[in-house]
Amino acid sequence: MTSSPRPRSTRPQARRGFLAGALSLPAVASLASCASGIATSSAAEGLTLLTYDDIDAANLLREQLTAFEDKTGLSTTLDTVPGSGAAQFPDKLRTRILGGNAPDIWRIWGGQIAQPFVDADLTIDLEKYYDSYAWDAVLSGSGVEGMTFHGEKHGAPLNVASLGAWCNARIFEEAGVSAPPVTYDELESANDTILEYGVTPAGFGGKYGWHIMRLFEFLLEVTAGPELHDALLLGEANWDQQAVVEAFDLFLTWDSRGWITEGALGVAPADAEQSFVQGTSAYTISGPWIETQYIAPSGQPREEFSTFLLPTGHDDVRHSGFIEGLMISTTCGNPDDAAALIDHILRPETQAALQNTQSATLEAAPDPEEFPLSAQWAQIREESAIYTIQDQAFPKAVADSYFALQSDVLQGNSAPSQAARDMQQIVADWRDSQ
Amino acid sequence: MSTETLDRPRSNRRTLTPLLFAAPALVIYLGFLVWPALQALWISLTDWDGLSDDNSFVGLDNYLAMLDDNVVGIAAVNNILWSVVTIVLPMALGLLLAVVLNRKSRTSPVLRTIFYAPAVLPLVAVASIWAWLYDPTDGAINTVLGAVGLDFLEQSWLGQDSTAIWAVMIAAVWVRTGFPMLLYLAALQSIPDEQYEAASMDGANRWQQFTRITFPSLKDTHYIVLALSLIESFKVFDLVYAMTYGGPGYSTQVMGTWMYANVFQYFNAGYGTAIAVVITIVAIAAGVPYVRSQVRNS
Amino acid sequence: MTTNALDASTRSQPAPPAPNTPSPRTRHRSRPNPAVTITALIGALIWITPLVLLIVSALRPLSDFLSNGPVSWPQQLTLENFPDAWDAGQFGTAYLNSTFLLVVKVPLGVFVAALLAYGLAKLEFPFRNFILFSVVLGMTIPIYIAIVPLFTMLRNVGMTDSIIGIIPPYMAFGLPLQVLILQAFFRRVPSELIEAARIDGAGDLRIFFRLVIPLSVPALVTVAILDGVATWNELFLALSLLSSEGNRTIPLGLLNFQGQFATNYTGLAAGILIAVVPILVLYMLLQKYIVGGLTAGATKG
Repeated sequence: MTSSPRPRSTRPQARRGFLAGALSLPAVASLASCASGIATSSAAEGLTLLTYDDIDAANLLREQLTAFEDKTGLSTTLDTVPGSGAAQFPDKLRTRILGGNAPDIWRIWGGQIAQPFVDADLTIDLEKYYDSYAWDAVLSGSGVEGMTFHGEKHGAPLNVASLGAWCNARIFEEAGVSAPPVTYDELESANDTILEYGVTPAGFGGKYGWHIMRLFEFLLEVTAGPELHDALLLGEANWDQQAVVEAFDLFLTWDSRGWITEGALGVAPADAEQSFVQGTSAYTISGPWIETQYIAPSGQPREEFSTFLLPTGHDDVRHSGFIEGLMISTTCGNPDDAAALIDHILRPETQAALQNTQSATLEAAPDPEEFPLSAQWAQIREESAIYTIQDQAFPKAVADSYFALQSDVLQGNSAPSQAARDMQQIVADWRDSQ
Repeated sequence: MSTETLDRPRSNRRTLTPLLFAAPALVIYLGFLVWPALQALWISLTDWDGLSDDNSFVGLDNYLAMLDDNVVGIAAVNNILWSVVTIVLPMALGLLLAVVLNRKSRTSPVLRTIFYAPAVLPLVAVASIWAWLYDPTDGAINTVLGAVGLDFLEQSWLGQDSTAIWAVMIAAVWVRTGFPMLLYLAALQSIPDEQYEAASMDGANRWQQFTRITFPSLKDTHYIVLALSLIESFKVFDLVYAMTYGGPGYSTQVMGTWMYANVFQYFNAGYGTAIAVVITIVAIAAGVPYVRSQVRNS
Repeated sequence: MTTNALDASTRSQPAPPAPNTPSPRTRHRSRPNPAVTITALIGALIWITPLVLLIVSALRPLSDFLSNGPVSWPQQLTLENFPDAWDAGQFGTAYLNSTFLLVVKVPLGVFVAALLAYGLAKLEFPFRNFILFSVVLGMTIPIYIAIVPLFTMLRNVGMTDSIIGIIPPYMAFGLPLQVLILQAFFRRVPSELIEAARIDGAGDLRIFFRLVIPLSVPALVTVAILDGVATWNELFLALSLLSSEGNRTIPLGLLNFQGQFATNYTGLAAGILIAVVPILVLYMLLQKYIVGGLTAGATKG
């Protein structure tokens, strides 16, 4: 593998520096003149915002942008890349930046997904806006931490997302699982019971990798425990050890005993994620957006669904979590306006109007009347710490190698012990390149 | 385009007019195909990440790195497999169909339309359609297998290394069979009937007529179909990208998608471009004999 | 670009034979054999099944699809999937953009190719063979080698995410095939006609516009259709260059849509149909030209 990102020194902000001509190639003046006759201005007026909201969420956001326009007289444009998820959105963003029409503001996941953009000096330090808008006081601390890179705050957190089990309570009940499992063993026996009842217990879609990763990282938390898991993610502990092998073993067990979607590796995540709503599986591992995106539109009574923390069997039961935030481009002509828009979006009333059930805004907890399940989850997650979701813990190239290993193990192409050794190699190579 | 040149003296026209005709196309061709391709050669010798403004010359490092990259190995094998399967099967099927449909009947034009129709669809649409047919639980293929009692053949077609690339290639065969069929159909019409009449008088059966007359007479067509299919096969990207995204794992990666991943996802524009350079050199080498024959013929 | 290389039409044959013209000769060997006919019909049925399933699914409610399975006759028919899919996929914009490319880029590209092809075929040209060889060789070059430099270039003029900016590279990658087909065709325009016009005092441009172009309409239409199909369906360049919502083409719209509709199979089917119907209709209407273009050169006389 040669594909881990190369180290890069953090340079002083060079505004539009990356646009100045990234390659020391002979000028393309002749071609430029050939094309300039039909050139159009690609710089949209006002503020452009790039997100990955789906249609409904984008419509809600547009209403809020209109309110902002009315208030300030600034114009805004929203572009979204819906349905793309963490697999494709970063490419799209990157393509736009590389193409010289970076959005003024973009939404992005934290960790290693946002890191390259910060490292390439594409985002501005928001410290002064944190001061002027008192974001530290109104936004979740872990959220702010997740948008802090090399000690600088390069984004304002939008969501503090966290993953738990979202389930079809009716199926659980009909199958004879009366209460949500509280130990890992109970979860396993619940799987068996549900399977006997005739429904696939867990719905997963492995296309793009990250959905099946949610299962594996949970199993790794089970076998390795909090401390070791964190050390593994940082590359500070050796992956070639018993706990990792056990996690891969369990991973195989889940598949071979029919606890997860048949042929999960080829299924699109969006398919699998809502299968429990349709009743073709009993639960999935996901976040509160499930309620707004799938459960509410299905029109089925909310009581038929529930959510619970995946039991890890450790004293400190943690769950997987990740941060999403908004960043301002170094190419933004008027960062003050952009910050004002971000502040507008992060206000509790805006967050409520956007029906954000996992807001990083402290005063924007989900309304228990409207989103009972999200409210229930919000309570649960307060009791539990998080571990970094693995596709944010590793750069994309490393995460993809990791997904490929998981795929190999599930298909029996690689033994768990071999996978543990291979993963150690992948992580070691990544650490070396840093 | 000015019309002033219309009535220029002859001598002048001889020297300038050809240039006038050639210039627009050549400027575009050189500017937007040749020049970028040459620039790619240079980029492939750098470690440019595609985003920042620093890059340095690394010589052949990117090319050497490909030797250690086992995904390149997987992609190369898949590309070769792709070339063989999506050329041989459509050619064989296309020839068979052409022979069968080469008759005057009311159904022939309809059947020809049906067999060629997939070729005009956007490959993204083809990918959607087939991904849906292959769906392990709600897909038509497994449903039909189950209904006719062949449950044991039900597979997660796109979800396992052993079948995924084949499943994608089947979709490609569906798309690509119409093309050789049409070419063969046209060629069959130019074989004189007398040859068959003479052969049948000599007692040759249909199979012998096919092997002795039909197949050899189609030599030029075989060549053209083969060459164009080969050129086309190196460009594979859309179907894989939209159907499997290279997965499961890396099992369906081809050079095109692996190049895309490196350039647009891993911030390795230099390395990704080196992959593109290699596949382009192979494609050009494979295409040169055909292009030369075409140019010589004219 | 599925149909990009779909042509061979160069091997020394003049105007494409109208494909639907039945062969003047009757063949004893092609007397219908019932077994063969039935096998062919079954084959065609299998071939068309994916499209039939697609149409049937698009016309039934999701509930009907889910309760009866994908391979079943619908108990209920509806057109509701279409407006839903149209809105969700924002196909309006995609249609506009793809149509713009079809109307502007295709004729422009064919015209430019025709100019060069004519020059190479009929005018005295320095390095004629070398130029022809170099241009046709472009057919073999996968578009992805050029993507990174194209990016840099278009960026320098602020045209990456622009439906106009994508036109020159599209033209460049369409040229090789078009030039190959057209120069072969022009070559067969009788030189006596051209000489006669020249003696009447017509210049090369007038000859080109007044004589050659009218004579070559079938070839030009064929080339335009092949290019139109390839342009309508092109994914890689669009995926890499066009990023904002307002600049999506049909394949990009569909790719986007695919991710969102997920298990809404009937909506997905409707969206796919929305994307492919124009190209299928165009194919049905103009298929004789496609067939003509495909077969023009394959029948070496």
